[in-house]
Amino acid sequence: MTEPVRGLRIAVDVNGERHERDVEARRLLVHFLRDDLDLTGTHVGCDTGNCGACTVIVDGVALKSCMMLAVQADGSRIETVEGLAPDGELHPLQQAFSSFHALQCGYCTPGMLMSAKHLLDNNPEPTEGEIRRAIQGNICRCTGYVNIVEAIASAAKGGGK
Amino acid sequence: MSETTVTPDRPVTVEETETAPGFIGVNVPRKEDRRLVQGEGVFVDDIKRHGMAYVHFVRSPYAHAAITRIDVSKAMEIDGVYGTLIGEEVAAETDPFFQIAPPPGGDLKDYALAVGKVRHVGEPVVAVAAATRELARDAAELVEVDYEPLETIVDPERASEPGAPQLHDEVPNNTIWQGNFDYGDYDAALAEADKVVRIKKLHFHRFSSTPLETSGAVVEYNRGTGQWTLHSNNQFPGFAIIMMAPALRVGMDKLRFVSQDIGGGFGNKICTHVQLVAMCLLARKLNRAVNWTEWRTDQHTANSHGNERVFLDVEVPVKADGTLLGFKARMIDDAGAYIRYEPLGCIIWAQVTPGVYRWRHIRVDFKQVCSNKSPCGPNRGYSRMQHLWFTERVIDIVAQELGLDPVEIRKKNYIRADEMPYETPNGCVYDSGDYERCLDEALKLIDYGSIEEKRRDAESRGKLLGVGIGSTLDSGTNNFGQSTLVNPELQFSGNNEVATVKLDIFGEIVVTLGTTPQGQSHETTAAQVVSDMLKVSPDDVNVRAGHDSYWNSHAGFSGTYASQFAVTGLGAVKGATEMLREQILKIGAAVLGAESTDEVELADGTVRRKDNPEAALPFMACGAIVNANNAVLPLELRDITLNCRYVYVPPHQLPDKERKYGNLTLTYANQIHACVVEVDPETGVYDIVEYGAVDDCGVRINPQIVEGQVQGATAQSIGAATHETFVYDEDGNLLTPNFYDYHVPHALDMPPMKTAYVESASPFTPLGAKGMGEGGGAGLSAVAAALQDALRGSGKPIVTTSSNPYHRVWELLQKPEESRQLVEVEER
Amino acid sequence: MLLAPVEYARPSTVQDAVRLLSTHDGARPLAGGQTLTNVMKARAAAPDVLVDLNELHELRSISSEGGGLELGAMATLNGVIRSSEVASARPIIAEVAAQIADVQVRNRGTVGGNICSNDPTNHLPPLVTALGATMTVLGSDGERTVPADEFFVGVYMTAVGPGELLTKITVPAADGAGDGFASVPIGKDGTCIVNAAATVKDGQARIVLGCVSATPVVLSAAPDEASVREAVQGAGLDPPSDVHASSDYRRHLAEIVAVRAVEGAQG
Repeated sequence: MTEPVRGLRIAVDVNGERHERDVEARRLLVHFLRDDLDLTGTHVGCDTGNCGACTVIVDGVALKSCMMLAVQADGSRIETVEGLAPDGELHPLQQAFSSFHALQCGYCTPGMLMSAKHLLDNNPEPTEGEIRRAIQGNICRCTGYVNIVEAIASAAKGGGK
Repeated sequence: MSETTVTPDRPVTVEETETAPGFIGVNVPRKEDRRLVQGEGVFVDDIKRHGMAYVHFVRSPYAHAAITRIDVSKAMEIDGVYGTLIGEEVAAETDPFFQIAPPPGGDLKDYALAVGKVRHVGEPVVAVAAATRELARDAAELVEVDYEPLETIVDPERASEPGAPQLHDEVPNNTIWQGNFDYGDYDAALAEADKVVRIKKLHFHRFSSTPLETSGAVVEYNRGTGQWTLHSNNQFPGFAIIMMAPALRVGMDKLRFVSQDIGGGFGNKICTHVQLVAMCLLARKLNRAVNWTEWRTDQHTANSHGNERVFLDVEVPVKADGTLLGFKARMIDDAGAYIRYEPLGCIIWAQVTPGVYRWRHIRVDFKQVCSNKSPCGPNRGYSRMQHLWFTERVIDIVAQELGLDPVEIRKKNYIRADEMPYETPNGCVYDSGDYERCLDEALKLIDYGSIEEKRRDAESRGKLLGVGIGSTLDSGTNNFGQSTLVNPELQFSGNNEVATVKLDIFGEIVVTLGTTPQGQSHETTAAQVVSDMLKVSPDDVNVRAGHDSYWNSHAGFSGTYASQFAVTGLGAVKGATEMLREQILKIGAAVLGAESTDEVELADGTVRRKDNPEAALPFMACGAIVNANNAVLPLELRDITLNCRYVYVPPHQLPDKERKYGNLTLTYANQIHACVVEVDPETGVYDIVEYGAVDDCGVRINPQIVEGQVQGATAQSIGAATHETFVYDEDGNLLTPNFYDYHVPHALDMPPMKTAYVESASPFTPLGAKGMGEGGGAGLSAVAAALQDALRGSGKPIVTTSSNPYHRVWELLQKPEESRQLVEVEER
Repeated sequence: MLLAPVEYARPSTVQDAVRLLSTHDGARPLAGGQTLTNVMKARAAAPDVLVDLNELHELRSISSEGGGLELGAMATLNGVIRSSEVASARPIIAEVAAQIADVQVRNRGTVGGNICSNDPTNHLPPLVTALGATMTVLGSDGERTVPADEFFVGVYMTAVGPGELLTKITVPAADGAGDGFASVPIGKDGTCIVNAAATVKDGQARIVLGCVSATPVVLSAAPDEASVREAVQGAGLDPPSDVHASSDYRRHLAEIVAVRAVEGAQG
């Protein structure tokens, strides 16, 4: 697309389901997911790309969806928290987060889970340092991260409970 | 008495559907988790309504200015803009918010939008509503507001001096409140002292817990009934309704508050009633649902800061053997531009007047001022944290100046376990606690015995090592009668919380709560209490998620704040469950042919005869009988409903207004923290290398949940001690308005943290539990003390601020004499 | 917050990108978006057209020739970290890229973006200056190269003008040089309060200070502590004061990180 446009019709695959929508060029991916597709699991926590609550995986890459335009995701495969338990059976990470009390208010949790999934997809046996590094871009105000790190370590070891 | 439980390597977890005898004290998995881990929580911005308008506030760029002109016409020309709201309309359609303060402080006028004048950067001036978020933002840029800037006042010490710019015409010298507190006999203590330590100034800085979800609401107005429904994340709807209804000139029942999931609150979602009034007016004016989602920048700039407090002319009489007799101080609290929960902060600190120490002679001159900064809200630790930090700095500085061991001086002066319940000099009663025991455990956690060895090792690497202790209390279950000590005309006292527990037609147990949890696991702990009492599994107990004032499961003080759920919320749950239990036993006795309820018991979801367990009536049958088959019951039992509502009311008394005396809180959890830091003397950069936190909140309903609170509160405290500061320039501009400059701890910033728990049951509460969650403030003291210890060899600077980022440590290293000028010891 | 209305184009060739940038006033390139989207959210900048560079795959390449490196401007920070070419030619680049923010930012953020945004607290401008890199800039009238020393012209401003695009960064071979980098960030991997990059070669240290001025400050000194300190003290630095550091403190920290960067280059 070589001439500038105000808006675009985009097609995205989100958690295995295809969606087509007209969007304004300026619409952020996070608002596209939340408002246009009603996938409200991905959250907004800040204005400056620091908090990571909006983290999703696009074409296998974890990124903050508040710093990507929806039009940039045209043709992409997007994974959000809603896709982790497709048939209601919790992903090992989700199970571990619950067992280890790695969430309190739950607001950072979707972004945290996607960062954790991205880590384990690429590094199945991370050290504690690698786990902390993987979630460095996800702010949590409730937990102090202790249990989050333990939950991810446990899920990596095949524990989900 | 006290029992030490050291954190197990892994939490004990009960498998789903397993029934175990007694669920109190067990780490039952959380009910909240299933929806939250799937992203199926319902937070306020998740709620959509057909035709909903999105609201963006036009906010003041000035800290202090007169508004001379507002023109919304260009904004209104944009297609898709539905309407606006300005201060003039608000002043016509609402009354100023009720003020807790007595005159003259209470005479100031606070409206939902700025009226005539702005008093802090970010104050909302105009609200714009449009079809999309982006359009509302675009339209806001076209709103024209002209200001005439006025001189600003941001220094709390100068705010009440003659000549300072006045924020509110009604409030002379920007002084919201002033009061004197005088307990024991301070003059005699001073005369008796062997030494007197004087500290010119200590400063507790502005910061807040900055919950990850910002404030917000979706507000609808029903023109037929005049009812507003507010889906909001306000965490104290009882208070919001009491504030909003008179302002809107409607009855309290016209405001329905609904919330399900809230992304953290920590006290910062208590004062949003102000913005919610603007939303209500817009919803009514535009006849459509309106959505407001606060921007992060706006939350930092204009929502709720923790109180900033300065402690001046501190004087501490001490005996030669290290006994501290008391203290005298002038305290100035900076509440920001408007007082919304203030001036309660002027009395709430008095819940912990002596901190954890036995000194009896205390004299405080307390003043609260307003300034051109963000209004304050009751941020986690509210007002007690500031005061407890002060007492802990005093102990630490006195110890250093008099050459006393920081551990020994604390043990000497701590209130003792055998003195509990302990009445403080101003009549508060500490229910239980073993501070010395907790200190010993904290020191074990950081391997205190090896500190000198670690110090030498650090030295060999060119680093300065320091160790510090922080002692704090978490007082919970307020007696709102303390408000009469700041304003004798107020008619508030006591406290309450509501729960309903019922048995449905299919024998389902359903619980509703009056609280508004933001991560504190109320659904889970409530289920634990109910299942424990009714002898079922927590999985059989359905707890309605969230809060809805339509359920009538709330009272004047309902909400989630002030470390009280384990007492008030669970007290209400216990009370309602006891009523239900009695009713089930009565039905069982009647149907099973028993003479009295003594002959029947609850077990495995049934009521059965003790002498013949086969003779059992399942709960489902009880539900069916009462709801659909009640002629089988004798007439005298026909008033059984199996739907029980209980209001927990703590045994508070009215305090003595004259003497400012009385029990202001029901429970006192305590926390003793210890930490080790390593400072790079070349740069002032430091790391926390060890951290231990010991918490005693009485009986722990769910130890894993308590641990989560301790870890989270500690992380916030470490963040506040190191990098989190709301810094203002001279013109009242906030220099840290977002997460870029206001650096909160990320995963790699956290030190290794160990925790341990002591359980000193409260003699005053239904379950022996105490409220908890605000005790993390000990970290501010522990870090300050550790830094002071580390820097001892570099000129013995004293740490006088709660905020100690690298540049502050550098200043202390470079110019220790500057801080030393603030302390002086008089030998008698 | 939210972006102002903007037009968007996604060219598939570099020539097309340059054409779009030069024919539309107020057009700006969109690389990783880790800086520009935030600037646009705050409405501190409101370009009329965003030219998305993410389909220009030729700009993502990282190649090594004769021990030197050619980094495509759109190479992501994560790409640089994982590159075996970078690891063998000039590993300091990967080391420094790994200190920038977090995984999500590094997955999208690009070397070109970090360099062209030229925020004084960025990591790569001082680093590429210390390495003596050369930037290749493509405009509608052709291609030109700009040495790093001349590339950074002011706060947020580089030699890349309107209608132009940074296409690659050429880093000379180490050829016996040692590279170092030191910083004092706010929290782990946070924004830099000060940073310094250093290259030591043939007994001489080339030190570049970030965060202390509108553009990176280049100094030369013998690679011993005293000489480095003298060089920094003699540079007449007047660093900005902000919430994290006063001018004096920043000046002092600059001295320390300069020494540490040089030590790192030799270690």
